[in-house]
Amino acid sequence: MSQDARVEAFVTAFEALRAEVEKVIVGHREIITHVLTSMFAGGHVLLEGVPGLGKTLLIKTLAEGLELSFSRIQFTPDLMPADIIGTNIIVEDADGRKHFQFQQGPIFAHILLSDEINRATPKTQSALLEGMQEGAVTVGGASRPLPAPFFVLATQNPIEMEGTYPLPEAQLDRFLFKLRVRYPALDELNAIIDRTTRSRHVTVSRVMSGSTVLSLRELIREVPIATHVRDLASTIVMATHPSWAGSPEPTRRFVRYGASPRGAQALVLGAKVRALAEGRYNVSVEDIKALAAPALRHRVILNFEGEAEGVDTDTLIGQIVEAAEAVTASGKEVFLR
Amino acid sequence: MAHPQAIEVLVRRVAREVRVRRAEHWGLRGAFWGGLAAVVVLSFKAGLGTTALVVAPALVALGMVAGATYGLTKRVDPHDIARLADRAFDLADRVATALEWADHPDRTPLVDALVADTVERVSALESRQIVRRAIPVEGRWLGVPLLAGLVLALAPAIRLPMGALVDFTPSTETEPHEERTTTDPMEERSRPLSATPLKRPSFEERDFAQRSGTGSGATAGDLSAIFKDTALSSQRPDFNSFLKKGDERLKLLEQVDRLPDLQSDFTSSQYKMVFKKSKSLLSGLSPDISPQKLRELLDEMERLGRKGGNWSGDASEGMEALEGGQTDRALEAMQRALDKMRAMEESQRSGKGLRGGRESERGARGRDRARGGGEGSNGPEDQDFGEGEGFLPGKGRSTMPKGDPTARLRASPFDVGVEGESRRGRKEGYDTNLTGRAGQMPSRLMYLGVIGQYRKMMEDAITREQVPRDYHDQVRNYFQALDER
Repeated sequence: MSQDARVEAFVTAFEALRAEVEKVIVGHREIITHVLTSMFAGGHVLLEGVPGLGKTLLIKTLAEGLELSFSRIQFTPDLMPADIIGTNIIVEDADGRKHFQFQQGPIFAHILLSDEINRATPKTQSALLEGMQEGAVTVGGASRPLPAPFFVLATQNPIEMEGTYPLPEAQLDRFLFKLRVRYPALDELNAIIDRTTRSRHVTVSRVMSGSTVLSLRELIREVPIATHVRDLASTIVMATHPSWAGSPEPTRRFVRYGASPRGAQALVLGAKVRALAEGRYNVSVEDIKALAAPALRHRVILNFEGEAEGVDTDTLIGQIVEAAEAVTASGKEVFLR
Repeated sequence: MAHPQAIEVLVRRVAREVRVRRAEHWGLRGAFWGGLAAVVVLSFKAGLGTTALVVAPALVALGMVAGATYGLTKRVDPHDIARLADRAFDLADRVATALEWADHPDRTPLVDALVADTVERVSALESRQIVRRAIPVEGRWLGVPLLAGLVLALAPAIRLPMGALVDFTPSTETEPHEERTTTDPMEERSRPLSATPLKRPSFEERDFAQRSGTGSGATAGDLSAIFKDTALSSQRPDFNSFLKKGDERLKLLEQVDRLPDLQSDFTSSQYKMVFKKSKSLLSGLSPDISPQKLRELLDEMERLGRKGGNWSGDASEGMEALEGGQTDRALEAMQRALDKMRAMEESQRSGKGLRGGRESERGARGRDRARGGGEGSNGPEDQDFGEGEGFLPGKGRSTMPKGDPTARLRASPFDVGVEGESRRGRKEGYDTNLTGRAGQMPSRLMYLGVIGQYRKMMEDAITREQVPRDYHDQVRNYFQALDER
């Protein structure tokens, strides 16, 4: 299979899966694209939005479009880690002998929907850490691998903060992207009403298998990236750190902690998927700039002044990207240097 | 794999374009500075002659050529050129990536596809200028030195000033010496300096001489020796005390609040001020007299009355009438208070009410007043008593061991007495009643008197304190409800 055919297959699969999800989900094209980008990059997604915007429906539809197992966990304050991972239970065999047997939890699925993840205690939230990072969980001293591909999609509500446990930074860093689901536009709302209040039932076809996803993930890693593009990504991440010498003024003023190296990885991997999805064989500066906000918005921790002044993280990241471009001098005329 | 020759061709073409633009850029800069040099040369045309007319354009040309050469020979980074081409032809960093990865050791199969794709796209490009011409600042001002040089070249030569500086070298010729026949007053100043310079005494020397005190003769630097035969000779100039006094005066000046207010009119008393206010209040009226001003005036009169006058009752009555909406009664009460005030002022002016002097005189005056019962006897505080007499406990003719009680209670209609009896029950308590005029008055007088103050304090608190904005209306409504009752 030629490289052109491989790339063409990726573009086709990407578009087909997006089309299946868009059969059910009205609007939110960018969100759908970013969710698919994250899935092909091998990362997990945190969806943030008020209730009723279709976050859960989007994930369920995505699971229906893939030939993958799907499980859902509704996070509540009394949810325990064993409820997610599973536990050893005593079973009796035919001879009447009793022994421990591991009962898998809902985490043992290809696609895991962690609904309202911030309603569970940090202890339970942390039960996902190992699975998200290592693709395996440890129960009773034994490491048990999770099925591949393993893709966690978590949702959280930004307004009902009472009785919630905000995700710790370590947990947030495990998510490749944090996506903000916004209200639909008027025409999109009309389409939602038309689509959901009629008797017509939409059937989502399965367009991709797990092995296809894994092979396409391999292709992603082959996408070349130019030095100046990679430098821009790393400069953006470094510019989120207030202690860095080249960080811009907004960072120094409003940011307490910047993005980790995982942020740079997320930026470059996401950019590679975006390039391939657009039929390109290389990563461009525009890919990095387009994915800076979803890859970094949950990794940039504002300080007190930033919180008090209500600084929008996306706006801040936009300023950081501009400053990083100036630092890498990509915008300067060549012949003057 | 497609050979990236097309990419290299594109890069070379763009690099050539960049070099040309650089040559233009730096050539303009060189021409500007060469033009400036040419202007300087042409300024000396008078001295240089026709040489200047040859050198000046040569300088301009030289500057331009030097700049252009510098621009042409400046190093061009192929990767920068590739990025420039990517941006110019909207190739999404394909050229830069392909150029970098074509010979990369870690190249993946996808790189071949990238190079092929890039070559295909580059081959389809139309040849066009992509590098903008950048005019430097010197290029924008190049016309100025060129025009100035042209003007200087065409204009007649500028004659440089030929005047020589003053020759300060000593003249070899001997000047005729004029004999002075008259005494010039300046002669004193032109007196040659003494060979031994005058030694100025220092403080240390002087102190040392004085402390020693044993020397019979005046030592060098002992200024007190000058005053040896006077009383001043024994006094040391005390600069420290002088400075200390100066400091104290400066500190006093800094205490502004302790300085007398020289702007205030000391000839007018507080009573006169009240008269003036009442006059101004009553002059422009009458039906539209301001209750607020009248209340303020009565309040001030009542305050003055409490200090030492007998009109506080009238003033209070006026305030009461004013609160009840009876302006006429309030005015009458104010008039009565003013009459009493005027009477007291006149009595003080006549000296009857003045205190001071010897104790014996004060006692006699007090007895005279007691007999005459003049207008100045305005109460216990204004009465003068003889030595040993009075209301103080243990003094005077009072039969009370602690002295007679003062007549303050019920001297004013607003004085309130409290009477009551103990109440029997599980807890000790008292049933009390207010007596006097105040006991018969409704409580709204005090209430109305303070509610305004409370409302003002509330407004101040809302503006000054951090009361949440949503609670402002709630607080105001509460006080509004109080006012309505």
